Amino acid sequence: MAVKIIESCVNCFACEPVCPSNAIYEAKPHFLVDPKKCTECEGDFPVFQCASICPIEGAILDSFGLAINPPGSLTGIPPEKMAEAMAELQAH
Amino acid sequence: MQLPVLNDTPAHAEHGAKGGCAASSCGTTENQMDTLPDSIREKVQNHPCYSEDAHHYFARMHVAVAPACNIQCHYCNRKYDCANESRPGVVSELLTPDQAVKKTMAVAANIPQMTVLGIAGPGDPLANPERTFETFRRLSQEAPDIKLCVSTNGLALPDAVEELSKHNIDHVTITINCVDPEVGAKIYPWIFWKNKRIKGIKGAKILIEQQQKGLEMLIAKGILVKVNSVMIPGVNDKHLAEVSKAVKSKGAFLHNVMPLISEAEHGTFYGVMGQRGPTPDELQDLQDSCSGDMNMMRHCRQCRADAVGMLGEDRGDEFTLDKIEDMEIDYQAAMEKRAVIHQAIQAEMDSKRLEKAEKAQQLKQEPKLTTRPVLMAVATSGQGVINLHFGHAKEFLIYEASPDGVRFISHRKADQYCGGDTTCGDGESTLQVTIRALAGCEAVLCSKVGYEPWEMLEAAGIAPNGEHAMEPIEEAVMAVYKEMAAAGKLDATPEAARATA
Ligand code: SF4
Ligand code: SF4
Repeated sequence: MAVKIIESCVNCFACEPVCPSNAIYEAKPHFLVDPKKCTECEGDFPVFQCASICPIEGAILDSFGLAINPPGSLTGIPPEKMAEAMAELQAH
Repeated sequence: MQLPVLNDTPAHAEHGAKGGCAASSCGTTENQMDTLPDSIREKVQNHPCYSEDAHHYFARMHVAVAPACNIQCHYCNRKYDCANESRPGVVSELLTPDQAVKKTMAVAANIPQMTVLGIAGPGDPLANPERTFETFRRLSQEAPDIKLCVSTNGLALPDAVEELSKHNIDHVTITINCVDPEVGAKIYPWIFWKNKRIKGIKGAKILIEQQQKGLEMLIAKGILVKVNSVMIPGVNDKHLAEVSKAVKSKGAFLHNVMPLISEAEHGTFYGVMGQRGPTPDELQDLQDSCSGDMNMMRHCRQCRADAVGMLGEDRGDEFTLDKIEDMEIDYQAAMEKRAVIHQAIQAEMDSKRLEKAEKAQQLKQEPKLTTRPVLMAVATSGQGVINLHFGHAKEFLIYEASPDGVRFISHRKADQYCGGDTTCGDGESTLQVTIRALAGCEAVLCSKVGYEPWEMLEAAGIAPNGEHAMEPIEEAVMAVYKEMAAAGKLDATPEAARATA
């Protein structure tokens, strides 16, 4: 069982030092989790540390492949508002 | 020594800027250094960020070594640099501490006017303690003639004070947008604290407590503290006077109120939700109302997290990673050269200050004009003189001339909101954008103006003026003001005289 960092990661380094298992490492094009080392924080913390500091919604997935921080959960921007704003910008 | 302050009652607010590319940069009311205790004034008076005249002579730089952040602000999108310390939508080149030290020493050797090194991002410097402190540690040892400063959101500050006090730290900037958790919850959606993400009022309360505690601890250690606030209309605008009082009573020496810069394309909460930034009038009104309580500053330039260079220029391109790799720096030799140059600059500044004080005295003797105040833009690359071609100016200094004298108001970037593109919005040219940035000004003083901009400036109601090249700014602004007064141009109301481009 391990979490996974995907391409929306912005390489902010925040997760790397908070991981109790030293499972996160800097890589190109973005940070990665070593699935052999990730313990999902079991025994250390009740919540995933990486996903508790990561500022990017959707950048870290749980072992089911689901976003631990789904759209809107961190920024407070309702997803439909975001879609609207992006569509508006595209139209210009 | 006293900094000459001509006038500390603002004559009027800036008018005419219509949002978009035209807002002023940060800055606040008068440079009231004369109210500071001697010990602080001494530290501050040659500081390019705090002393209005010193910022014509000395420069600061930033290195981006601190990527991580421990909170989220609604005006920030972590795809970019910290939006408080840098203009939004900017991405700086992330450096390792080793690269940052090398770059700082390369810049210091090549730009002797560079006296201050700041770490402000791209995340929160104190959320990256190892990288930040490694940089400070090495620079304190290897380049002791450079002052160090750091900006923080304050969450990790109490734990960092002890370490900060060991280095050559000149001052710390804390961004404090509120002292009330209910207001805070509208600005900070979450913080990362004690291994948990904490949302809403609870998170904001912890952040505020840490900020205030950190502020007190720094003051107790004798470290200068500046406070930055971002003005967010309808969220904390009314509240900032209280913030100003609170931080002053605890011993902060300056309060810098900056406007929220908010555009949908920045992808921030405020940008997407349509939260607007303050108008120049609103900003100035607030700065004026806070200034009764606080020393404030007007000349913050909202530098990029990796900005390099003097006024009106960014020489970052000369110091990219691959270029500094090849530079051989003999810092000992550079330091000796720097000391000589700094002394010369100091002597020049001292004599200019004296001259300025005398001129102000003279002005008091003359019969006082009764004309209205006027804003003018100035193109300069430093030394306190008008020495930049209109077309080469990346930013303008805005001065207000009134019967009481000349005072500095703010910086305006020619491309503040436009990322330096050649076009902006509806296919505006760079020139149109620049002219829009000067809205509210009635004259622009520079060393030269080309034919095309000349015509466009005139059409926009901004008189181009190249007659005062190489003259001291304040004198030239006063001379132009007197000409305008003599020509009867200043009897009309400002609104009638000011055309917005
Ligand atoms: S879930 Fe925990 S152990 Fe796994 S990578 Fe994230 S912080 Fe490390
Ligand atoms: S905290 Fe998130 S965005 Fe930052 S490096 Fe880790 S996964 Fe990437």
